[in-house]
Amino acid sequence: MRRGAIVRIAGIGIVVAILVTLVAVLIPWLPTPASQEMDRIEFVYWFATVISIAIFSLVMAVIIYSVMTFRSPPEDESDGPSIHGHTGLEIAWTIVPAILVISIGVLSAVVLSQNSSAGTNPLTVKVFAQQFAWRFEYPDNEGIKSGELVLPVDRGITFEMESADVIHSFWIPEMGQKQDLVPGIETSIVITPTRTGTFTLVCTELCGLGHATMRAPVRVLSQPDFAAWVKEQQAGGSKGDPGAAVFASAGCGGCHAFTPAGTNGAIGPNLDNVTASAEKAGQDSAAYVKESIVDPAKVLAPGFASSNMPKDFGDSLSTEEIDALVTYLTAAKQ
Amino acid sequence: MSAVEHTSHDTGHGSGVPPHRRGLLMRPGFIRGAWCFALFFLIGFLLVEGIRSFAGWDPVRDWNIIVLVGGLTLGPIGFLLGIGAFDYWLYWISGRPTRPENHDSHGAYTWKDYFKVNTDHKVIAVQYLATTFVFFVLGGLMAMLFRAELAQPGMQFMDTQTYNGLVSMHAALMIFVFIIPAFAGLANFAVPLMLGAPDMAFPRLNALSYWLLPIAGTMFLCSFLAPGGAFATGWTSYAPLASEQPIGQIFFNMGVQWAGASSILTALNFLVTIITMRAPGMTFWRMPLLVWANFTTSLLVVIATPFIAGSQFFVMFDRVMHTSFFVPAGGGYVLGYQHIFWFYSHPAVYIMILPGFGIISEIVSVMSRKPIFGYRLMAISLLGILVLGFSVWAHHMFVAGMADWLRVPMMISTLLIAVPTGVKVFSWLATLWEGRIQINTPMLFALGFISMFVIGGLSGIYLGSVPITIHASDTYFIVAHIHYVLFGGSVLTIFAGIYYWFPKMTGRMYSERLGKLHFWLTFVSFNLTFFPMHWVGLVGMPRRVADYSDRFADLNLFVTISSFALGASVVVFFYNVIVSWARGPIAGSNPWRAMTLEWQVSSPPPVFNFDEIPQVVGGPYEYGVAGARHAILSGGSLQQETPA
Repeated sequence: MRRGAIVRIAGIGIVVAILVTLVAVLIPWLPTPASQEMDRIEFVYWFATVISIAIFSLVMAVIIYSVMTFRSPPEDESDGPSIHGHTGLEIAWTIVPAILVISIGVLSAVVLSQNSSAGTNPLTVKVFAQQFAWRFEYPDNEGIKSGELVLPVDRGITFEMESADVIHSFWIPEMGQKQDLVPGIETSIVITPTRTGTFTLVCTELCGLGHATMRAPVRVLSQPDFAAWVKEQQAGGSKGDPGAAVFASAGCGGCHAFTPAGTNGAIGPNLDNVTASAEKAGQDSAAYVKESIVDPAKVLAPGFASSNMPKDFGDSLSTEEIDALVTYLTAAKQ
Repeated sequence: MSAVEHTSHDTGHGSGVPPHRRGLLMRPGFIRGAWCFALFFLIGFLLVEGIRSFAGWDPVRDWNIIVLVGGLTLGPIGFLLGIGAFDYWLYWISGRPTRPENHDSHGAYTWKDYFKVNTDHKVIAVQYLATTFVFFVLGGLMAMLFRAELAQPGMQFMDTQTYNGLVSMHAALMIFVFIIPAFAGLANFAVPLMLGAPDMAFPRLNALSYWLLPIAGTMFLCSFLAPGGAFATGWTSYAPLASEQPIGQIFFNMGVQWAGASSILTALNFLVTIITMRAPGMTFWRMPLLVWANFTTSLLVVIATPFIAGSQFFVMFDRVMHTSFFVPAGGGYVLGYQHIFWFYSHPAVYIMILPGFGIISEIVSVMSRKPIFGYRLMAISLLGILVLGFSVWAHHMFVAGMADWLRVPMMISTLLIAVPTGVKVFSWLATLWEGRIQINTPMLFALGFISMFVIGGLSGIYLGSVPITIHASDTYFIVAHIHYVLFGGSVLTIFAGIYYWFPKMTGRMYSERLGKLHFWLTFVSFNLTFFPMHWVGLVGMPRRVADYSDRFADLNLFVTISSFALGASVVVFFYNVIVSWARGPIAGSNPWRAMTLEWQVSSPPPVFNFDEIPQVVGGPYEYGVAGARHAILSGGSLQQETPA
């Protein structure tokens, strides 16, 4: 009886394990890794998955076997055997899970320490977040600024991060690493990209109305291409409109729709017809737009009850940048 | 001891007009509650206006403050006064004759008695369950609304403010005014009966605890009416976002205070009841595991809940009093909020599951017709979870930017908490072994709970590991995990408990066929709803987003359709409960042939539970032990022990 039971439970357990393993293997649970850190995270993930499949299969096998074998009809009023416990078993299922989880813990601690090290020649990138935009600065490359995160492949990158208002969180899913940006303290994280391509940086900490669309483009370039990009930026950026560059790097498109920039945010007013609104308000369009950037709560666009726009663009952008932005916004539609 | 004359049972009230003979306006009840609310609101209004105009602050009429003082603080106290929650104490304080032996407000004789302040723990239990299920339905409907929005990328039905509000409200209702108090309701019914006690230790406090609850839930819901919309910062309400939000946010800050006060008072009541009101012979090692579970839960509540109260007060003070607890510019520490918040809110996860463990232990043992396997280790593992539960809070903050050295110790303690939890699961499995298993609705929910909770526990192991959490935190993987624990865990145990004690509460039997239908619909649609969320989260979809990248569209549509099926499955439950309560077959006193004390009295039990004090002589789960008894009652109630 006893040996038969063990064989049958093992049989059910193997069937369950095969099914669960198929679910674990056939579904692409994780994105294709694009960083060394994500490779290591994936290793821990599979380590935990093997243990989880074993435990889940065991539990399900015992439940299924018990229900199949020991089920009684409702009219059966007999009781089961009076087994109150078994010290050996109880010790076993205290100690074995403890060993399993501690093994996961040790592996995790090792991986955590590896994932926190940027290697010998790290590149520092500063990350600034505010509702609802990302900006990046490259202090190792004469402080170039960008609204797009451009990274060299195969080099450890230390991100030093600050938030201007509330908590945001930095995550590029394919690269695994995630870190909150907290007002008042500087946080940091290490990523070593392993393949070139384009990715998306998303905010993962609820930060207000524009949270869902607070994203930034990420490009990982080969090292020569990255050097070329740096040179181009140092030479004054792409030959495009300087106002367009400010529009992108200040993250205006996160909230505002503006056809020339190809953005369609809906948190703030549509900017396609700022000139018309200025006329309606009886103001010079340049002065009107500038005021709305520097002191957004002063005059509210129709349909917007309160201003959700950050109030510190007057400080965070230089006078030249603001002027370029104003020109860009007012010149677009004449 | 008191200055009051204690006279006989029948003519107890020496003087004073009995409440039901007073005029409509003065009689304790909703009408007096309404005008007392208005009066206290007015007092708050005048207080704020008076102080502000006296001090010369501009503007004199600041509605933020008036709503906070008049509407969210004094008004509810007025309502409690009006409904009669303080009557007895006020009589006593003012030296007027009280009616200590008049049990007017004890027991329910018509349906109207459920709408009054009642001191009978069995009535309060039903009040708790009915109220919490109202909030459960509302919270569930909100979930279906925002799932509709998430069926497609882009915005279709609502703006992001509404979306964030619905998500936050869903969680606040489900956590603070459904799961936690629903367990308090079930325990309110079962614990005094299981102990052989006539009621809780403090019946009037018990009534007050209940009445705090609808105040909290209504307060949450009223924030939809506030200008700027409902609170929209998630149930975690992180500073500094929460201190900059429209006024709806303070409805959350204060609602948590009322719900928290309710929890703390109930927990104190349980602790005193369990420590002092056990029947003769009911040693701690003879208590049913449900009582052990609520003992442990109550300790957690009493120790932890003041922390969330503090965190919500601080974040609100930052807003209304311009303090700087969490404002960096004023020297505040933003992460301080998260430390204080999670020092409550991680133990809160155990507050929301330990009572469920207790319910499952009762059901698995009774329905397997076997003693619970390893009774003492089951009780000790609860205490293990209690202790470890206070040493793991920072695992919610692995990416928050806290001190690096904290991560590994918090990871180890988090992983170790799987050990006592595993002990419980394996002990339930061993209880099934060689039993005479009765597969009925409570047992189906119990088995469903064990399998779903194992999935939630295993995804918890992933989240315990820091490197994996760094990838998975704040994504839909978290949403999946918390729903496997709170729905697959807590909600399934609440359903199990309601089906299990339904015959005892109502005296009638529910429909077994509908119960099983309810289980299978819930079980299947639950998995279809929440299992895919693990995937969509790991591949890159953050949580709490009103809009998402097009590549997640198919999975989200699938989840939305499944969630509607899950919502619909609840209809079967309500139909079954309501119809069976009205017209179900008479259940008999002990349909499950259980040994614990609540099944040894009539269904529903007498107003004071036991006609005589039971004498406890053995353990509560001695099934299959020849001649074993848990307790001896020689009187009439044992005679009725004849299941139909």
